Amino acid sequence: MEASTTKKASKFNHGIIDCDVHQGVKSYDDLKPYMPRVWWDRLKAHNATLPFLMFRPIPLERNDAAPGNGLPSGSDPEFAKVDLLDRYNIERAVLTGNLLSISAHNNPDYAAALASAFNDYTMDTWIPSDERWLGSIVVATQDPLLAAKEIDRLGSHPRVVQVLLTSASREPYGQRRYYPIYEAAARNNLVIGIHGGGEGDGINPSTTAAGYPTTNFERHNILAIHHMSQLNSIVCEGVFERFPTLKVAFIEGGLAWLPHLMWRMDKNFRAMRNEVPWLKYKPSEYILKHVRLTTQPIEEPDNKELVQMFQLMHAEKTVMFSTDYPHWDNDTPLFVLNKLPEEMRRRVAYENAAEMYQLQERGLLAGGVAK
Amino acid sequence: MTKHDVVGVEELEAGACKITTIEGKSIGVYYNGNEYYAIRNVCPHQQVELCKGKFTGTTLESKPHEYIYGREGEILTCPWHGWEFDVKTGKALVDPDRYRVKVYDVSIENNRVLVHMD
Repeated sequence: MEASTTKKASKFNHGIIDCDVHQGVKSYDDLKPYMPRVWWDRLKAHNATLPFLMFRPIPLERNDAAPGNGLPSGSDPEFAKVDLLDRYNIERAVLTGNLLSISAHNNPDYAAALASAFNDYTMDTWIPSDERWLGSIVVATQDPLLAAKEIDRLGSHPRVVQVLLTSASREPYGQRRYYPIYEAAARNNLVIGIHGGGEGDGINPSTTAAGYPTTNFERHNILAIHHMSQLNSIVCEGVFERFPTLKVAFIEGGLAWLPHLMWRMDKNFRAMRNEVPWLKYKPSEYILKHVRLTTQPIEEPDNKELVQMFQLMHAEKTVMFSTDYPHWDNDTPLFVLNKLPEEMRRRVAYENAAEMYQLQERGLLAGGVAK
Repeated sequence: MTKHDVVGVEELEAGACKITTIEGKSIGVYYNGNEYYAIRNVCPHQQVELCKGKFTGTTLESKPHEYIYGREGEILTCPWHGWEFDVKTGKALVDPDRYRVKVYDVSIENNRVLVHMD
């Protein structure tokens, strides 16, 4: 067993798996064929119905990633293949979509219908366009039963690897009302991906834990508190005891907070374990076993401190590479990966994601057993 | 020093930037309505094409919650992460000693814009 693992590892030496690529629609009207007529009129006003309140002085989508003909960045799979996958020699890329405030919407039925339509659009237009694209099923978390239904509807597709939730929510994700989502994810052998989005928008709590910030700068500095809150809740409420096969990827939430949270959780566990008698292990052990984080937007200390940070958070197990293409703050593989020592680079660039999404087992690696 | 003929003055409108290759280097030649500038088309942060960003102004130094807009046409903002550079010096507005992009001298001769390379 040991020998075969080593052999596999050497084969993947320079591959890259990108765990966060945002595909979108050319026009929201493209979703009409996938939605009941009753919701069509709202699509014209998607900017109003998908809450997105904070002014962004730098537009969310990179202008230089626009495919041309006036189409929005990230809306043309053929262009994205050349501009991202070919340019950086990315072997597989997990699509995370752009319904990033879907769980902030006040109407759970509209939100669920929009998520379903977007998933169908992705399945019809992006997934068949290139075998390198892997899919996430985005769900609206307002109604976990509807979300579970959506997961069961599409979860058996061979190139769907993840269920995507946004990091802002009405209640923290460890709570029992979300169990139907985890049951469905476990049943379909899918990773739960938690991606930034919807903080302070619509029905969701404030962008910071202390109230609403004034600028996008201030908002962006503090986004990680949502990921921290969700991870804290999921571990402490015993989600990984209840669903022992479940894996959770924290996407686009930064990294450096993880050692802080693990240390604090383990310390408090010694004193307050009797509040959570269902936890059999220290919180950090659940995290190292079940949780992975993506690189972008990585904090940018100097190289020595970056490597120290990666060591503190056990990056050889916990960190997966992502570009966040085509968003404004995306990272090139050259930037993050070149700063890491070889062994750590291989784990972060490729192997952690291949293991997390079981790509070898699913026959989804170009260098693996099947194409 | 070699002068390279890049573009005619009448071909480059105010606010426009022409990206060209000189001695194997990608360089943006930019006209702000008064002056011409030549800037290496590589952001020192993540090496993307800087000159595909926005040429604009910026907020000047001020007291808290005071906004003063200025330097219209003198600031180049990277199309990716929004880092701001002074088109005259190539220095980043934040961390100017650590991050700077190469700028080149420009002259106008016979209504042609010439970029000077060392």
